[in-house]
Amino acid sequence: MAKIEIRQHEGLIDRAYEAFSIIDYLPDDLSDEEMEGVLHVLPGDLARTMEAFLARRIRKTSILFLKRMNDWLKNAHRTKQEGGKAILVPFNFPPEAVYIFEGAWPVTSEVLSTLGVLALEGQGERYWDYAMGLGLPDSSCSANMIEVGSVLTSEDFTPDAIISDCFGSCDINSKTHEFLARYMDIPLLFLEKPVDNTERGVNQYYKYFFKLVEEMEEFLGQKLDEDRMREVLGLANQASELYWELWDLHKFRPCPVPNIFSLMTYGTRFTQWGTQNAVDTMRSMVDVAKQRLEKRDYPADEEVARSLWTYTSYYYDMAGLFNWMEESGITHLGDGLDLVFPSVIDLTSRETMLRGVAEIARNMPMTRQMGASSMSVQWLEDITWAARELDADCCIYCGHHSCKQTWSGASVVRSELMKRERIPTLILQGDSWIRRMTPMSALQEYIEEFVKNVVKRG
Amino acid sequence: MRTMQSQSTDLYSEYVRDWKEKGGKVLGYACVATPVEIIEAAGVLPYRIKAFGHPDTELGDAYLARFNCRFCRSCLQLGLEGSYDFLDGLVETNGCDHLRGMFENWQHVKKYDFFHYLKVPHFLREDSLEYFTDELALMRDAVAGFAGTEISDDALREAIDTYDEVNAKLKRLYALREQTPPAVSGTEVMQVLCTGSSMLGRDFSDLLDEVLEEKAKARVTDYKARLMIMGSATDEVDLIADIESTGALIAADALCFGSRSFWTRGGESGDPLALLAERYLGHLFCPRMFNDYERRIEYVLDTARRAGVDGAIITYNKFCDLHGVESVSQRMDLERAGIPVLVLEKDYGSKADTGRVKTRVQAFLERLGK
Ligand code: SF4
Ligand code: SF4
Repeated sequence: MAKIEIRQHEGLIDRAYEAFSIIDYLPDDLSDEEMEGVLHVLPGDLARTMEAFLARRIRKTSILFLKRMNDWLKNAHRTKQEGGKAILVPFNFPPEAVYIFEGAWPVTSEVLSTLGVLALEGQGERYWDYAMGLGLPDSSCSANMIEVGSVLTSEDFTPDAIISDCFGSCDINSKTHEFLARYMDIPLLFLEKPVDNTERGVNQYYKYFFKLVEEMEEFLGQKLDEDRMREVLGLANQASELYWELWDLHKFRPCPVPNIFSLMTYGTRFTQWGTQNAVDTMRSMVDVAKQRLEKRDYPADEEVARSLWTYTSYYYDMAGLFNWMEESGITHLGDGLDLVFPSVIDLTSRETMLRGVAEIARNMPMTRQMGASSMSVQWLEDITWAARELDADCCIYCGHHSCKQTWSGASVVRSELMKRERIPTLILQGDSWIRRMTPMSALQEYIEEFVKNVVKRG
Repeated sequence: MRTMQSQSTDLYSEYVRDWKEKGGKVLGYACVATPVEIIEAAGVLPYRIKAFGHPDTELGDAYLARFNCRFCRSCLQLGLEGSYDFLDGLVETNGCDHLRGMFENWQHVKKYDFFHYLKVPHFLREDSLEYFTDELALMRDAVAGFAGTEISDDALREAIDTYDEVNAKLKRLYALREQTPPAVSGTEVMQVLCTGSSMLGRDFSDLLDEVLEEKAKARVTDYKARLMIMGSATDEVDLIADIESTGALIAADALCFGSRSFWTRGGESGDPLALLAERYLGHLFCPRMFNDYERRIEYVLDTARRAGVDGAIITYNKFCDLHGVESVSQRMDLERAGIPVLVLEKDYGSKADTGRVKTRVQAFLERLGK
């Protein structure tokens, strides 16, 4: 096999950033004709992604979403150029906890991998292969390893520090980032959630969180400014309120919220909460869903099934998953990563604000479920609650091969969901970020069969 | 040693059977972060869960998945099919994602009356040590309630002393293996440790006296190279025997069923629970501990130097994230220190893997010029 060489500027973050800059040239109200022209000149993989995002029914929000993601990437670069610090965080760490600091910018590991998969020709495979070449295990998580593989080449954008709050809820995520920090010789800050939901466990979590804030203050050489905190967290509150509005809109039959908004919701949540951009994107999603509700629009003749995905979805073929499902009458009500439980923070004082962010961090997806005293019990409770709230007819577990902790509980969750709620669960197997594991066409077949033979009959 | 050999891979050993017949209670635990002193101080037998017999894993697979480490699936299998019905309860720890899954499913199906979850922090700092000390107090109350007795500080101190003795004797056994020529093989050491992990400390201590005496003058001479082995939790006596059958001698280890379970159990606190917290959390040389790599690799390098090994085998069970990722840094650092490395990812207890393992070790020996 030819040696994998990543030359300067061929890193995932740099390349995705360049590929995404074309978004800036798209008008907000792109016509069908213009869209065809755009798709025509784009490389195949990116064209396929854009085709999904630019479907007419979601085009306006998608363009806004992509532009905001592009801003987020641009600002990571700008922050560094201006002497600030880019801090690599996992998706389960609230970015607003970074934005409250002046001159600090959160870059979210799994989102970077996803952007690479979406934007780059060959998706994220070359970075994955590079990491494997170093000897990292092939059962690692592609959500991290794609982006980490790229940084490890030393030919990509390098963060100034890493925050990890995954240990206890995902071994591979925490180990991967610990490894990266050591390999690149950058500081690693961390936050543990004791797998303990008693008052003592919660208080301990707050202690750890406040300690992390102290360490961030020290690393960034600044004390938190209360006014800045209030501004950032006020914006986070606005986005959270819109989140719940969108959540409620999912409850209608047929569902007025486009499938891909699931991804856009957490894409925004994991990167921009605490900024005006997040508020704008969330508002645009709410508006589109409201309009669709008013018109009773649904992309297929009928809504055949309402599916709740219990953990992640698949991200290597947006059109093949989100749009295909919708056009087949299968609603994607959201997945486990949408269960972000954003609460509105009390902005009275530094203490109330910090406690508010800590509480949000404690309830971020994965931290909340897999970091609970029992992984399957809390996960099951959350899924049951969401399935009831959103009137789901079925659940789908994507079976991302690396999520060993969810695999450990998947069978209990499936049988209890059936027993208690009469909701069947389809268990799939496939890598959510790498297409070579299970082709989309195979997944579509499984989903179709399941809906036809189990859900509709049930 | 002969008794040891026959009992070392027996789940329900004569010793345990005898204990049960006398009305003794047994608590199962899996991770070396569990302070067995607390269990022993309550007059209960601490039993480290093993997967001897390497069963088929249909039941284990039905609850866990084939993406989980097979050691955990095998233990679960044994638990669900009844081989562990002699246990009176379980003590869970959050060692790794797979272990957590194993315990959760086991308890979900078996519903033991006694099930205690000891929450072990993933890093060492004053605040985490305090939290862990409180956790040990909760464990003490829970185990005392289960045993229907009180666990006094004196009883704890006595148990701590017993394990100090055991650990000192184990170190002497290790010295016998590290010497040239060694008095004991890697397979024998593994047998001793596995046997001891199903015994009360005080009885294990007596047994160790016998082993030390018997082995003092023995010599192992027919080996080609001295190797060190490190990696995932594994009780595979067979694996060590397979490796040694190629002419390698496992002269040292940094295994969790090996030296990592006893080597550095130090502490200073006067209060027994605080002391146990220091001994366990402060010396948990497992990649589950965050931000502690430097101490771990120092420990590994010290061991390798002390035993004068020609090379090291890093072995981990397929799907083990903690040891899988750690193996990359370990390999780099060992090689930087001039110690050649073989990284051996394997399926736990798989007979189908035996040939491949032996071939790779043979090739490694050739690489070492042995
Ligand atoms: S929970 Fe699953 S998808 Fe998320 S980082 Fe861990 S292994 Fe990857
Ligand atoms: S390898 Fe680590 S987590 Fe696993 S049993 Fe050993 S000490 Fe515990």
